[in-house]
Amino acid sequence: MHLYKMHRKITNLKKILIRRYSQAALLDQNEYTETPEYPPILDMSLKARKLREREKLHEKIKNVNTVEEKQIALNMPRYYGWKCVMLHEDKVPYNAMPMIQCYTRSHFIPIEKLPPTYTESALTAEIVVKEIKNLVEDAICIEHEGVDHSFAVTLEKPVESQKSDALANVLVKQINRIITNNLADKVPHILSAQVDYDPRHEAFWFVGGVDVPSNVIKWRKQYPWLKDRLDEPVDRPVQYLGAPFLAMRSHFPLKPILEYSEAENPEFKVPKFTYKPDTVGYFHAYRHGTNIPGYWPGDHDEFGLLSYHGRGHILNRNVSFGTEDNLEALHCQAMLASFGWLLAQANYQGFTTYNDLTYPLVTQTIITDGQLWSFYAYQLNTILMHNEKIDENPKHNICFGTKPLKLYEKVENGKVYGFNEDVLKLLVQLYLNTPEEREYDLKPYLGREEQVIADIEDDNKRCWLEKRYKHLVSNRPKHLLLPEIYLWEKIYKIEHKTRFFEPNRRPFELGINPFKRRLNEHLPPYIPKALRPYPKHKKKFETTYYPDV
Amino acid sequence: MSTRWYPIYQRGNPQLRVFLPNFWMKLVHPPPKQLPNTVHFHCSMEMTKYDIRNYLEKIYNVPVIDVRTKIILGKFRKDLGKGYVVKDDDIKYAYVTLPKDTKFVFPDIFEKSKDADEEHLKSLEEAKKTFKNYIHRNKSRPDVPSWFSI
Repeated sequence: MHLYKMHRKITNLKKILIRRYSQAALLDQNEYTETPEYPPILDMSLKARKLREREKLHEKIKNVNTVEEKQIALNMPRYYGWKCVMLHEDKVPYNAMPMIQCYTRSHFIPIEKLPPTYTESALTAEIVVKEIKNLVEDAICIEHEGVDHSFAVTLEKPVESQKSDALANVLVKQINRIITNNLADKVPHILSAQVDYDPRHEAFWFVGGVDVPSNVIKWRKQYPWLKDRLDEPVDRPVQYLGAPFLAMRSHFPLKPILEYSEAENPEFKVPKFTYKPDTVGYFHAYRHGTNIPGYWPGDHDEFGLLSYHGRGHILNRNVSFGTEDNLEALHCQAMLASFGWLLAQANYQGFTTYNDLTYPLVTQTIITDGQLWSFYAYQLNTILMHNEKIDENPKHNICFGTKPLKLYEKVENGKVYGFNEDVLKLLVQLYLNTPEEREYDLKPYLGREEQVIADIEDDNKRCWLEKRYKHLVSNRPKHLLLPEIYLWEKIYKIEHKTRFFEPNRRPFELGINPFKRRLNEHLPPYIPKALRPYPKHKKKFETTYYPDV
Repeated sequence: MSTRWYPIYQRGNPQLRVFLPNFWMKLVHPPPKQLPNTVHFHCSMEMTKYDIRNYLEKIYNVPVIDVRTKIILGKFRKDLGKGYVVKDDDIKYAYVTLPKDTKFVFPDIFEKSKDADEEHLKSLEEAKKTFKNYIHRNKSRPDVPSWFSI
């Protein structure tokens, strides 16, 4: 033992004392080239370094293999979740259109007829309408007068809007049933399509170029090097939550309405909206960003065909808002719902808010209360609108939308009066829009072999990731209380240092912001000694498989 | 302003006519960068959203679309001289939304007094300069009173 140690020491000494070469090493001849090659000159200013850091992060997220890991990676910087601007589908404040257009980067085109791609299906639609007209009329009568609907009333919304939504919900399901039954043997894509009842549509993205919150300006003021950058905009996390009545999806995406090159057409302009979202009437909440298009990753039918939404929230709006703003609220809802659903679908294809789409995606949205129907067609061209790209990105999304159209005038004594076949025809035309297989790779940013975590072979890793992902997107409240600064502390410790003699133990006294904690900054589950591998194993905690970003 | 506490109106009671109600609204300068169609007010704590809407519509004929109110905690400050912490009163804020085509610009009330302020500043600067010169001239003979020199 001792000898061994001595030996090691002597060799170490040898290394210091003995020179093992007689002359300087030969220089490598290949070092010289015809023209001098210099390393790239990098801008070493603080701004440029931070930008490179962020670009590196975006690149890392792009290189993550699976969909679920990408979603966890988006949430990695915040243990308690992002402070998101909450965009609920059914809460549209006054004059929200400019903000929603900017946040979804959509150009809105009001239309009377459907876009030209739908003209082919007009004839078929007319035949179908003739066949199903009576059935639809019957369904409307039965749902209005034949059935005594009872539904659970919540206290969160006015009863009137809940009633409207509940009736629309059952009607939409009936009409969808009638149309799909009729079309199933006529067009193959309807037969193979999946229908989701009351699915969960959620989307998360970053919007840049928004005014800076006052607390950030206050923070920047304390550093002299940030003096001339006080008003530099920051990224805002945005979360959309939607609850359609019904959504249909298929294996292939719908055909683009416009060419993809049209996305850069400067005519489709979206005005910039820099005011804070609170000035319009939107609120914030801490939550993990979630992208959920109504199914889990790895589903066979990944692309949306159409979704039905309610318009009960229009009844809650203030009378003073006026009819014109109510119409705009519907457009806002449609743009949000379409963008949100498509963004979530794009996320399942491996794109994120940092890595832009490479092809357009299309969906169709219907907003209805049973009687009034508005139809929207939306083409998603870009999802890149974070701080660095919001001004540079030349692409825009495009939304075509009609005004609300009346399907019927009234229902009386078991009869429908003033039934409008043209509206039903429009609806059938949306169903007849055929999805097509695309020639290019739809998932360029996902791994070759591992595209979802179900493809991972390592059992531990797969199970851990599945559990973590599902728990993350459930947004369940934390087991422990959130960190909090009590009011007495704010008064007597932060604003007025009246207790300077006490030891500094609270996070704000140690200069720690607990809300900056990263997702993986926690102790992994403990492995009890009895469960550790035999004979001796020093590993106390289980392995975690957070993506390395 | 009346100091009387008026009873809340219940249906069926005789209508109460108030000559000088306890209601007031103060137009305040909005924090930078607001939507052009919103106006900020401080108002009395008893006013509800309906009161604010009626106050603006009935008295000033202002078209009101929406009213949002918020009570902001008063500031905590050290009492001058005493040194203990005291709290200012809470303030009720009212954010009033006007129709989207209207544009509200906060009036510049002290436009004229700006020039006067600048003049004051100029004279102050000059006084500072002469005092500096005086100190510089007499730096070699400290503690000599000013009246002593020629």
